[in-house]
Amino acid sequence: MLQDVKRLKHSLLPGGFVSVLLLGFAFLLFFILFLSQEDTSVTQLDSRVFSLLQFTLYQAFLSTLLSVLVGLALAWSLAHQSHFKGRSLLVALFSSSLVLPTLIVVFGLISILGRNGWVNQLGIYLFDHSFGSYLYGLTGILVAHVYLNASFASRSLLHAFESIPKEKYKLAKSLNFTTFQRFMYVEWPALRTTLLSIASTIFLLCFTSFAIVLVLGGSPAYNTLEVAIYEAVKLDFDIAMALKLALIQLAVTTLLVLFSSNFRTGVGNVRTSTLIIPWSEPKHIKRFQIVMISLFTLFFILPLLAIVVDGIGANFTRILSETRFIRSFFTSIGLAAVSSILTVVFAILLSDTKRNFTLKYRLSDKTFSKPLNTLVAFSGNLYLAIPSLIMGLGFFLLSQTYEAPLVLWSAIALLTANILMSLPFALAVLGPAMQKTAQRYDKLVFSLNLNPLQRWVYCEYPYLKSSLGYVFALSFCFSLGDLGIIALFGSDDFSTLPWYLYQLMGSYRTSDAAGVALILLAITLCVFILLPRLFRSSVAKDN
Amino acid sequence: MLKITDLKYQHNNTDDIYEYSMSVKPKEIVAILGQSGSGKSTLLDLLAGFLHAQSGSILLDGKDLTQVSIETRPISILFQNHNLFEHLSVQKNILLGISKTLKSSQEELDKVKMILKEVGLEKFEHTIASSLSGGQQQRVALARVLIRREPILLLDEPFTGLDADTRIEMLDLVKKITHENNLHTIMVTHELEDCERIANRVYRVENQKLVEQ
Repeated sequence: MLQDVKRLKHSLLPGGFVSVLLLGFAFLLFFILFLSQEDTSVTQLDSRVFSLLQFTLYQAFLSTLLSVLVGLALAWSLAHQSHFKGRSLLVALFSSSLVLPTLIVVFGLISILGRNGWVNQLGIYLFDHSFGSYLYGLTGILVAHVYLNASFASRSLLHAFESIPKEKYKLAKSLNFTTFQRFMYVEWPALRTTLLSIASTIFLLCFTSFAIVLVLGGSPAYNTLEVAIYEAVKLDFDIAMALKLALIQLAVTTLLVLFSSNFRTGVGNVRTSTLIIPWSEPKHIKRFQIVMISLFTLFFILPLLAIVVDGIGANFTRILSETRFIRSFFTSIGLAAVSSILTVVFAILLSDTKRNFTLKYRLSDKTFSKPLNTLVAFSGNLYLAIPSLIMGLGFFLLSQTYEAPLVLWSAIALLTANILMSLPFALAVLGPAMQKTAQRYDKLVFSLNLNPLQRWVYCEYPYLKSSLGYVFALSFCFSLGDLGIIALFGSDDFSTLPWYLYQLMGSYRTSDAAGVALILLAITLCVFILLPRLFRSSVAKDN
Repeated sequence: MLKITDLKYQHNNTDDIYEYSMSVKPKEIVAILGQSGSGKSTLLDLLAGFLHAQSGSILLDGKDLTQVSIETRPISILFQNHNLFEHLSVQKNILLGISKTLKSSQEELDKVKMILKEVGLEKFEHTIASSLSGGQQQRVALARVLIRREPILLLDEPFTGLDADTRIEMLDLVKKITHENNLHTIMVTHELEDCERIANRVYRVENQKLVEQ
């Protein structure tokens, strides 16, 4: 056994060190939060805390249900309508929902569905009737969550639909199955597992949703735990309350993460299949599918279009010359660049270590492999259990204990949060790719006694290149658009683009906000579309 | 002489214990026959060090290899698939057998040229491996075996899927390489014809044991 461990030390140690570092950080965070309690009131569930928990769970449940239903209907429609022009572009556009800054989405939705939004303006123009400000409250939260998560769900589910062997459809057709029977006996069994993992992921994301609830929640009645923590720290300066809420949230998210096991949702750079399902749909079903695709496309594109239309009219000379904009811009780009590089490095090291515990010619048969594999996986998925606001609170308390310039604490807190936020996605993409490369070449590499550098240059990198580009773009966009921890650390001296946008929206500088939103959207889409192209590899297609 | 004595191995989750004893002389080709799943490849994995035997010994000219790690065992292997890094050139694939740095020396490059001539692939030095035919790819893998000059050659059904003519050509090449380089060659196969063509002796795996035919 020791011989095997020694043989694999170059693969085990670096990732092991990262894993210990991350787990150590989590432990430190728990320790700080625990130490900071002043009394035992943490265990008391007063009515305010109880109603917060209740609403957080309620909105997460409804958001998940709606997102999964809409995502499933959309994926099903797209899977069976695989021949219309622009389909792959549409799927790629839906994929971008993963990286769209939440605040941009909220801004776009307000432009369409807000009090002075396009829908109300159209209502007044056509029927002389305004629907009012129905967007704020639970409706707004649900609409925004469905916008972001249904498109995310549809993409993963579409991949599951397209993975069903075409022979199964031919068999079902030969048995004269109805559309319902086809779904029940051919499609549902293939979707079930993916659906479960998508639902658990969406539930976690909605449970810890911050920016959407902060802007669209409207009143304390629609606050979630995450927003209440923010308000307790930033508005009420009630650290004891923030701690109480943070520990409750931590307990719930940890339980949720344990129940939903690994973060297994497919977030890979999925290409859509051009294979046509051998089944011609009945007319009424076809009509339903076309209406479904059209409605969701409209729902998805209109807010983005609104950002472009509203943004174009902004005074860019003024925006670009403002010191706060310039500072926010460079802070955002700098943090996104550093955190995305570190995320990629961490994800490679963790995936490299993790595969040792599952591969046949490594350590898979050792008794310690299973628990270590879980531990490494957990260290990479910490963000799902420790939302950024709680992380922020931990850093906030650390900054109170250990003296250093607040800007330094802010930068460290943001970098850490951004890396942890992107790691689960990075691992979900790189992990399987590295596993596959090892499965294919381990025996050859070991028998040729290639050193770690040779292995990386000749064997791993050519196959991982395009995934690396995708992960790099993904984590860059996540960092760029995040409005989480910055809400606690944002100040005149330290600001990012989303925080600057939020402040512009809060001070009703709508035109400038539209301009900044457009800039943020343009950078995000450019990075997400162009960056992976720099890493394109002809080799990866065959892998 | 390669001597394998009472090499025992038990897969996880099964009660079956595999037991291997055999010997291979220099310049000798020993074929291992058996049905799929009979344990033929397990023997090669044990010899190469991918799996660890519960007991027994592997001796090469009296030197015990049982505890020697994979990368330092004096062995070259040809698998059924993935013998080459398909995205690299023929030259690079062969160089990886001897070079431990990213930049190869002139001496190493000259060696590759010479070996390629020997296996009839001198024209393909800079060709990307994936664009070669199946037979040519296996020739490249054999060229790497030659350049490494390890005394034991393990073949795990490497010519399955090749057409009859190429297959015969490759088998003859293995025979030539084994003779000229004093190799101890063990070939796992389920083709009786392969055994008849090049094997000096044949073993069959029966009830998890090697039985000489």
